[in-house]
Parts: sequence; C-alpha cells; structure tokens
Amino acid sequence: MAVATHEPLLATGDGHTECLLGNEAVVRGALESGVAFASGYPGTPSSEITDAFARIAARRGIAFEYAVNEKIALELCFAASLAGARSLCAMKHLGLMVAGDPLSTIPYVGVRGGMVIVSAGDPGMHTSPNEQDQRHLGPMLHLPILDPSSPAEALAMTRFAFELSEQCELPVLLRTTTRVAHGRATVAVGELREPVVRGFVRAPEKYVPIPVNARRMRLELTQRIARARAIVAQSPFVDLAAEGDVAVLASGASAAVCRDLARGELAGRFASWSLGAVHPLPEEALIAAMGRVRRVLVVEELSPFLENALLALAARSRLSVEILGKHSGHLPEEFELGASRIEDAVRAVCDLPPRVRPRVEAPAVPPRPASLCPGCPHRAAFFAARAAFGEDQLFFNDIGCYTLGYGPPHHMADALLCMGASLSLAAGVGRVIGKRTVGFLGDSTFFHAGMPALLDAIEHKAEVVAVVLDNQVTAMTGFQESPSAPAPLHSGAVAIEDVARALGAAHVEVVDPYDLAASIAAFRRAKDAHGVSVIVARRACPVHDARQSGRAARPEAFVVDDDRCRKCGRDAVALRCDVPTTLGYERALGRARAMRSDGLREPAIAPCTTRCPLSLCIQGYAGHIAAGEYGEALAHVLARTALPESVCRVCDRPCESACVRAAIDEPVAINDLKRFVVGWAARERPELLRIAPAPTHGGTVAVVGAGPAGLAAALDLRQRGFEVALHDAAERPGGLLARGVPAYRLPAHALARDVARVLEAGVSFVASSRLGRDLTLDGLLARHDAVVLAVGAWRGKRLTLEGSDLEGAPSQIDALAYLSRRADGAPVPEGRRVVVVGGGNAAVDAARTALRAGARSVTIACLETRTEMPALRDEIAAAEHEGIVVRGGLRPIRVSEGAVVFEAMATDGPGAPVERSAVIADLVIVAIGQDPDLAFLDAAAPSLARTAEGLLAVDGETMCTSHPRVFACGDVASTGRTVTAAMAAGLRAAWGVDATLRGREDAAKHTPPPLPEALAPLAHVEGAFVAPKARRVRPSELPLAMRGDSFEEVALPMTEAQAREEAARCLLCGACGNCRACIDTLACPALTMLGGNVAVDAALCIACGVCERMCADDALGPRLGRPA
Amino acid sequence: MIRHRTLLVGVGGQGVLTAAQILGAAAHAAGLPVVVGQLHGMSQRGGSIECTVKVGPDENTVIGEGEADTVLAFEPLEALRALPRVHRGTRMVVSVATIVPFELVRTGGRYPPVDEILATLRAATAQVVALDGVAIVGKTGADRTLNVVMLGAAVGLGLLPVDETQLLDAVGARTAPSFREANRRAFLLGRDAVREPEKAEEARV
Repeated sequence: MAVATHEPLLATGDGHTECLLGNEAVVRGALESGVAFASGYPGTPSSEITDAFARIAARRGIAFEYAVNEKIALELCFAASLAGARSLCAMKHLGLMVAGDPLSTIPYVGVRGGMVIVSAGDPGMHTSPNEQDQRHLGPMLHLPILDPSSPAEALAMTRFAFELSEQCELPVLLRTTTRVAHGRATVAVGELREPVVRGFVRAPEKYVPIPVNARRMRLELTQRIARARAIVAQSPFVDLAAEGDVAVLASGASAAVCRDLARGELAGRFASWSLGAVHPLPEEALIAAMGRVRRVLVVEELSPFLENALLALAARSRLSVEILGKHSGHLPEEFELGASRIEDAVRAVCDLPPRVRPRVEAPAVPPRPASLCPGCPHRAAFFAARAAFGEDQLFFNDIGCYTLGYGPPHHMADALLCMGASLSLAAGVGRVIGKRTVGFLGDSTFFHAGMPALLDAIEHKAEVVAVVLDNQVTAMTGFQESPSAPAPLHSGAVAIEDVARALGAAHVEVVDPYDLAASIAAFRRAKDAHGVSVIVARRACPVHDARQSGRAARPEAFVVDDDRCRKCGRDAVALRCDVPTTLGYERALGRARAMRSDGLREPAIAPCTTRCPLSLCIQGYAGHIAAGEYGEALAHVLARTALPESVCRVCDRPCESACVRAAIDEPVAINDLKRFVVGWAARERPELLRIAPAPTHGGTVAVVGAGPAGLAAALDLRQRGFEVALHDAAERPGGLLARGVPAYRLPAHALARDVARVLEAGVSFVASSRLGRDLTLDGLLARHDAVVLAVGAWRGKRLTLEGSDLEGAPSQIDALAYLSRRADGAPVPEGRRVVVVGGGNAAVDAARTALRAGARSVTIACLETRTEMPALRDEIAAAEHEGIVVRGGLRPIRVSEGAVVFEAMATDGPGAPVERSAVIADLVIVAIGQDPDLAFLDAAAPSLARTAEGLLAVDGETMCTSHPRVFACGDVASTGRTVTAAMAAGLRAAWGVDATLRGREDAAKHTPPPLPEALAPLAHVEGAFVAPKARRVRPSELPLAMRGDSFEEVALPMTEAQAREEAARCLLCGACGNCRACIDTLACPALTMLGGNVAVDAALCIACGVCERMCADDALGPRLGRPA
Repeated sequence: MIRHRTLLVGVGGQGVLTAAQILGAAAHAAGLPVVVGQLHGMSQRGGSIECTVKVGPDENTVIGEGEADTVLAFEPLEALRALPRVHRGTRMVVSVATIVPFELVRTGGRYPPVDEILATLRAATAQVVALDGVAIVGKTGADRTLNVVMLGAAVGLGLLPVDETQLLDAVGARTAPSFREANRRAFLLGRDAVREPEKAEEARV
C-alpha cells in the first residue's frame, strides 16, 4: 500500500519540528489547544487556515464550517464559545470589518470557551484593495491583539491566545500579515489536544446585553482588559530584555527582520526588542525598558500605532528617551517595510552609514499580470454581456476572479468596492443618473453580501441587471465550497435563481455562458426589461472541475484552420482590404457570429459583397458604423468608390436583395448606411474624402466620357501614376449623373463634390470635347499611350406608335433627352397630362420630373407587371406616394387625339379576350432603353469590333477593345447599366490599361473589383442565421407638402442613432481577413499569433469552445472533423 | 553556519510554489534551519510568481536585491525579471521554453529573444545553465512535472543546500502515490540533463 502524504498538522508527538506555513502553524496551535469549533470565510492571505480545517476537522472531531460570510462565522464561533467550546474564526482583514457588529459586542458579553479570531492583514496590498491597520481595533473594541512575527510565534501565540481568552473572558485577535501567513519555517510542535465542549449554561443576564446589563458589562470590561494586560506582560511575546544605548522595538513581520539584523553584522550595535502583544500593552515593562536607553526606533508596518503609544507613555512618565520611527521620517506608513528599508533605518539610528548595495542594471521587462484562466466561463459571460449591452453600458464589478474583467479588453468594471457592493453600486448610480446599470458578482459573493443588496434593489424597483457568475465554487481564494456547489462538495445546491425569485425578482434567467447565443439573448432581454433582472450565468469552474473529477485538465486542444483563419474570401482574388480592424469591429464580428447557428461552413464572403459590382466590403462598413467608428467605415466605402456622394444616392442596391437578413425580417438598409457615413465625412471630416495626387511615372491616358465609368477609370488611372486627360462632350463632368438623374435624387452639389474630388486628385478635365466632332481616336492615340472610351449610351430607343403623326396626337420625347434637356435648362415639350412608357428607373425619374415640372397627371405604363418592373421599389413607391399612377402589364398600341391606347398583356394565355384602355395624354415620354451612339467610329481610322447588340466588343477581363491601346467601359460596352457596374468597369479598364502598358505585376499592386464569377456566392443554408427580429430603420423623407414643383432632395440621410441601430442589424456574415477577434475580444491566454494567423497553445487550451462560437472565419475548432 | 538563498521564479500554474515547498521540506528534513516565502493569491492565473527558500539563520523570508545565491527560473522572461536579485556569484538554471505574456500577444509587443536574455543573465552572474524543461517534461509521460525537473537540474549542478537523496525523498513525500514514479523520472531527467555541459546544451533542443 502506498504511503499517504505527510500531514504535519496531525503528526503526533511533542518536541519534534515541522516545516509549517504561518497559517498552518495557527491551525496546529489551535489543535494543540483542543479547539472544538472552527469557522471562517476564505480570503487571501488567510485561506489556508480554513482550508486546513476543511481537510482535517472531521479526523479530529472538530466541527468546522465555511460560513456564508465573516459576520456569520464570528457569530458561530462566539456561539460555540458560549457553549463551552474553544473556537477559532479565520478571515482576512476586510472580513473582520464585515463582522464588525458582533465583534464590537462580544467583548462586552465575554466568552466562555477560549475564542481566537485570526484576521490576516495585507500590508502592501498584494491581494486587497486596502491595507488597514487592525491593531486600532484593540483600544476601540477592548480586544486583546497578538501580532506574530514568524510561523513559530504564530503557533505559540495561538496556544497562548486560547488561554488568555479564557482567563480574561475576552475574544483574542490574532492579527497576522502576508509575510507571516505565507511564510514557511521550522516550527517546534507540541501535543495535540482532544476537543472539549463544556456545554451551554443558562445565564441570560450574562449573555443578553440589553442596556441595563451592558452597563454592568462595560465596567467588567475594564477589569478584563486590566487582567489581560497583566497576563500578556508575563508572556514571551514581550521581549524587552536586551540592553544597550539604542533599542529597536519591532512588532509583527518586522520583528523577524530586526532579529536577523541583530544576529548579523549589526550584532551588538542595538538592543533588539520584540513586542508581539500589541493590545493591551505591557505599559510598566515598556516604561521601564525605555528608561534604560537613550533612543528607541519603533519598527512596525502601517500606522505608528506602537510609536504613538510609546510617545504617550514616555510623556506620561516624563522620560527623556528619543522615540523614532514614522514621525521622525525613518520609516514610511505605507506598504510593507521590507528588509532593506528596515536595515537603513536601524543603521541610521545607530549612527552608521547606509549599506552600499551593488545594483544590477536591469532592462525593462514586460509585465505579466494575472488573467482569467483559459476557458474561464467569466470570459464568455463578459463577451456576451458586452455584445448585448454595448459599449456605453455601465458595469459594476465585485470581489472574485471576475475582478480580472477590469483590464483590457473586457473593461467590465466601472467601479468596484467590496463584497456584494456591485449591486448597490449599480442601483445607486442608476438611481441618480436615470440609466439601467449592470452589476457582476460571483456565487459565493452573492451569498456573502449580495442577497441583501439584491433585495434592496428589488424593493426599490432599481433599474439593475444583476449578473451572478455562478461557477459553483469560491475559486479566487483556492476553490472553497460555495452554497451553490453541487453535491458532494455541498450537501445540497442552493439555486441562486430560486433565491432571486423568492426575494421578489420578476425577471430571472439561467444561462450557460459558454452558449454565447443564448447568453447574448438573455442579456438583451435583461437590457430591455424594467426593474431588477437577474441573470445567473452558470458553468462550473473548469479548473476546479478538473481537480475534483481527476479528469485530464486538458482534453484535446482546439486547432486553427489556417486556410480559413484571417482569409476573407476575397483573398482568392487578391482583394484583402487594408482597413485595419478595431476592437469595436471585432466585437461586432464576434457578436454576429455568436448569434449564428452552426450550419454555415462555406461562407468566407458575404453575399452582399458578391453582388456588389464594386465588391465593397459592406460588412466592413456596417460593422464599423455599429461600433461608432465612422472613419474606418468610410475607408471601406472609399476603397473602390470614386463617386461616394453619388453612389450612396443612386445605387440600385443589388446587395440588399442578397442580404441574408431578408430571411429573418428585412434586408439591411445598406445604401443608407453608406450615405450616412459619407455624409458624416462631408460634414465632420472632409479631409478624409480628399485624395492627394499620386506621383506620375510618365504614362498618359485619354479617357473619353466623364460619366460614372469615365470618372472611375480616370481617378484610378491617376492613382496608378498616369497623367489623365478626361474629355466630355458636355461642359461639366458627370455624364448621366449630371444630366440623366434628376436633382431631387442626386442634388448638383453632391455630384459637384464627387467631381471635385476626382479633379483634385490630379485628373485634367477637357470640357466640350466630343469624339467625332472635336477629337479623333487617331489623334488621341497619337498623343496618349492608351484611350479609354466611356461615352455612355445616350441614344434613346425609339417607339413608333400608330397615329403619332396625326394632328392632336400627344408629343413624344425620349426620357433621357427629356431629363438631360431639363438638367441643361434647354427647352422641352411641356405636358399637363403625361404618360411615361417604360418600367425602369429612367421612366420613374422622368415621371417624377414631369410632375415637378407642372404636370397635373402622370401615368407610368409598362409591359412588365408591377412586381417585375426593373425600377427600384422605393422609387416606384415614392412616385405613387407623390400621386403618379403606375400601371403594369400594358403595351402601347397607338396614339389618338390626346390619348395613348394600351392593350393589356395576355395573362390568361392565347385566345383570351384582349382588354384595351386609353390614357389621356398630351406628352408621351418614352423610356424603353438607350443605345450607344457610335457614329464617331464611322469616321475614325481604326475600326473597333462591335457586338451583336451594337456595343463595343471588349475583353471581359481587361476591357480592351479590338485595338490593343483602346479600352472601353460603361454603357458603351455593357448592357448592365447601373452606376456601380459602370464604375466597376471603369476600374477594370484602368487596370487593363495598366496591365497592358506597365505589365500585370505592377498593375496587380492595385487590383480591380473581381469578375462576378470569381466570387463564389454564399451557399445559403436554411436556418443558418438565427438572430432576433429587428425592424429595418427607414430614414425620413422630404414631406410631400414640401415637394410640389421643388427639385429638392427627397430621401434624407439617416441620423447617427438610426445608422448605428441599422448597422447593428448586419449579421457580418462574411469572414474577415484582418480579424483577430478571438484574441482581441476574448483575451484567452491559450490564443496567440503565429505566422500571421491565430494559433492555439495546446498546453493551455481546455477546449471550452467559446472561441469557436464567435470565430467569424469559422477557423477554430476541435481537431476532429476537420480536414487534414 | 551555512547560509544559502534560493529564488524560484516562474508563471502561475508552473508549480513554482510546490517546488519551493519541496525544497523547504528537504532542507527541514536535513536538519537545516529554513524559511520559505510564498506569495500566492493569483498563483493559478498566469501571473508572475516568485518564492524564496532561505537556509540559514534568517527568520525573514525576503530575498532582496543582489541577495539570491541560486535562481531557478521556470521561464526566461521571469528569469530576466529576477535580474536585480542576483550577485556576481549567483548561479541560475533557466528553462528556456517561453510563455509569452498575453498582453504582448494582444498588443503586438516584443518578447526579447531568449539568447539575448541568457546573455544578459550570463553577464551579471557566475553561471547560467539553460535547459528546455518543457521538452524534458514531455519525456516523463506526465505533465506538470516541470517543477521537479527544475529541482533535479539544480541539485545535479550542486546549486542547492540539500543533496539528491534528501530532495528526492521530499518530492516523494509531497506527491500523490500515482504521480510518484513520473516525478522520480522527471527529477532524474532534470539532473542528468545538466550533469555535463554538452548535455545541458543538448537538452535545450
């Protein structure tokens, strides 16, 4: 049979020695005193006392219990004493303050069985928020106090304290400090003594301190203290025997240092006096000793408690002795004194020079603060709380491991005070500032002092969310039992949720913090609730769990899939953005990912981005807006948007139709977010919109046509270092944006800012230079290295209707001509009753323009059904809202006098009767599409190949025409006629020019948007996105009454609050190439960076799975089931 | 009277505290006057930790600046942090496997190269023996034996005031029976890794 490990506390036999911790020595002293009852509450540096009792009490027949707090512990010990048992109560200094109420009356009532209170102080505040000097409690509460200087003295003093306690019927305070409590030394041990209980003897007049009794007790108290003074004066803890001219009186941990000095090279230089009995003082002995010396240095930590007493005694006795210490400036009042400081003071009072200590030059070493353990459930709870409550929430914290949530990146402590105070702080601050607040506290702390605070908050209807981080153990102090611990550690678990409900909490939820989605949802409900909400985040401490179960502490560690980690899906097309992530963005990423189900595995790239012709990182700007980081959001927008002000107003938003949010409620208002952030920049940070001219390398390019495609190509070429001459037939740049989009959609000032931005970047604009009239392709090719044709499609398709040449027939004009002439201020046929034929945006634009130009009635009629009309939904709705009649499924067949006759499109199949209707009209605007006008080519020397549709034929990748130095983009080369598609084509043409002239390698430093097929669309998994429903935010519009004949902008931008709310709806469903969210937001020590990716330290990871649940790249997980 | 001061430094969770207790117990069993200082509180949570073992007449447990005779550093950065405590005659054992402070990972800060750390330590002391304690732990078949490896190495170099048998007995008395064999192996591997300088270098991996 294996030999059990040595238990020095139970070793029998008198006279041998053990190597004991100060705290163990106290326990051994109690065992040698026949202690029969022990209690306490753990607190560093006292915890090993209660730990030891918990381990051995049963074997010694001692009753021991961890009390829920120190007050209860003290009361229990007093009760045991009344019942005739020797009792010991242990806590840290802060705990004794919790027990202050009973402590102040126990000396009055007096004790029967010896009662020793051990209270461990913490000078230097190694693990405490203050370093109070508890010796002052002696005179204040009539409490004898002993202050050991070593483990050996701790044992001896404990034994003495029990005797003293019984002899003078007072509780005795054994006040230790960190160095003694946590110092280990050779200690001579004595015989163990069996516990004795003498029994309770009824004597109400002795034990009931009602005033009449208390006044008698007060008088007895003076006598008891006098008795105690006489007893301690004879004890070995008053050692004033040494003779000399100069004396050093030391107490507590400092006494050990002074004795060392007296044994060392300062031997004989001073009289070394030790005083372990600090209250009541052996006054006569002290007066006598002081009378024998010229000078006394008092060496004690913290306040000049003994020094003041000596000064008073000396004055009272008219001694001329010089008393030095804190008042003389030899020693400080703050912190532990430390050996070298004491030595300096001693040498000074001995009139010796200070010792010269060789100093080693030490480099600065990065600090290594303690942190939450890998896999700590508190970390997950903090993450979920931040995700649900947001950045502006006030959090109040408490005493326990979770205090570590104070530091970065958690920042989960706006204030902290003492055990249980998180809830009172939250309630008090909330009451005053009128905001809902959050308090965090652990299970043990909840039972300790949180319950009354919770009751108070409930009673007063405080707007407080109480988050109980229930890890079912008092982990911070060494895994002591908590009432919420399950059996067998505790007889029966006390469910915190039951307690909260019994106290009257109406909203109580229990969540597993590892389940981030459920936790975030619960915290959200708590955020939105009123009154007190209680969220119990329950998950056993994994460190304790592993210790208890004996299971391997570390199951197989997680691994990182390097093919996914920090790969955003656009990497494949070399489009990783260079917008750095921020903590706020990473929190948004993690939060969004945490709320997703696990079904999604092949995403990488968000569907909105795959549909965006410019391949903008939409989740990038949505996430940054949600985090209030507008500069970063803008950088994402500007990455490939030459004309931000225009695009954010006229984009046809293919992204929104792909938004996965549509499956939950409504797509995110992506374009409104873009408009918000561009507007923010124009208003607050205009410099962010500006582009400095790039250095040139000598290449020159002519761009013909200053519409969206031409402007985008010109700007991009300029940024690639080319000199760019941008020609346009019109006087001002803008093309279709200037002359085809009405001002109520795109005000002139917005476009003007975009154009100015391009020109400021160094693009030269040549006005009124039309190809075929003022310019020739040959001439351009002679002067430039390449030519980009972006002349657009301005020739409206013609609609020939029977009867249009008859007298009285309505006049007819094509939509683009109508819009551009209006924009130019040129004459246009006026109509009072206007019919617009066509279902696209040009039709709606023309209709709404006609209305503003004074038409009394406007009807849009098109072949498509209402739902199939290509115009933007919102535009159609706005037109109808303004009074325009929209009729789908109509084919115009002829015009008659003052009317257009339509035929209903067959819906019932051939043979069905055809319905005809007439719409009164004096003007027909035709909006059925445009073709490019390529007349200039007929005269041009190099002929360029065309497509069957009459467009310029181009290489889809480079936009190169059949001439190697001529490129084309925009409507002249494509039927995909949207502003963003045109701009994307412009960027592609610019890249094509660069790749042709300077080579692909140089061109690749600045990539164009990917070809649509390069972006694999998101595999849409049904149910993959689980998120609470949230209504789409709609920005306001110009009121109808104010529109009239005004061309003022109708759609207004979102406010900041609206934008942040709407941005928070984005599920950030794509991966991110710059993401470090796991490291930056969880701060799990098991995570590190290796070769540009996140890596998991297998020695630390406990496979809790929290990082997997919030990894936006789906790159973290268990080894199993992963591709090799 | 013999006077010897050993400083043990490392990272919470590495077993520094237990190593100090074992060394203290061994000295006590050998009849030497000994005090051990152990500052806990955060010992499980990855922070810096240090313990002191002083053999000799001193009652106070503190090892001040320039006072450490032997330093057992379980991690290089912690060895560097202990630099002000060494004197010209100090001898050190340093396990070279690094544990990068998470704050450096988070903030992108630099962990000084281990060779630089060792050079700095060597310039200030009489001897620095580097070994890869973590690699040796890998050979013991049980994790959490780094502290025993370090004790084995230190006793192998003759840096401790107790002998091999005394220390090994203290290891056995402190460990649960099921881990006793693994600990014994760890102790001997640590001892042998530093017996000859070439072996020590080899042990660095």
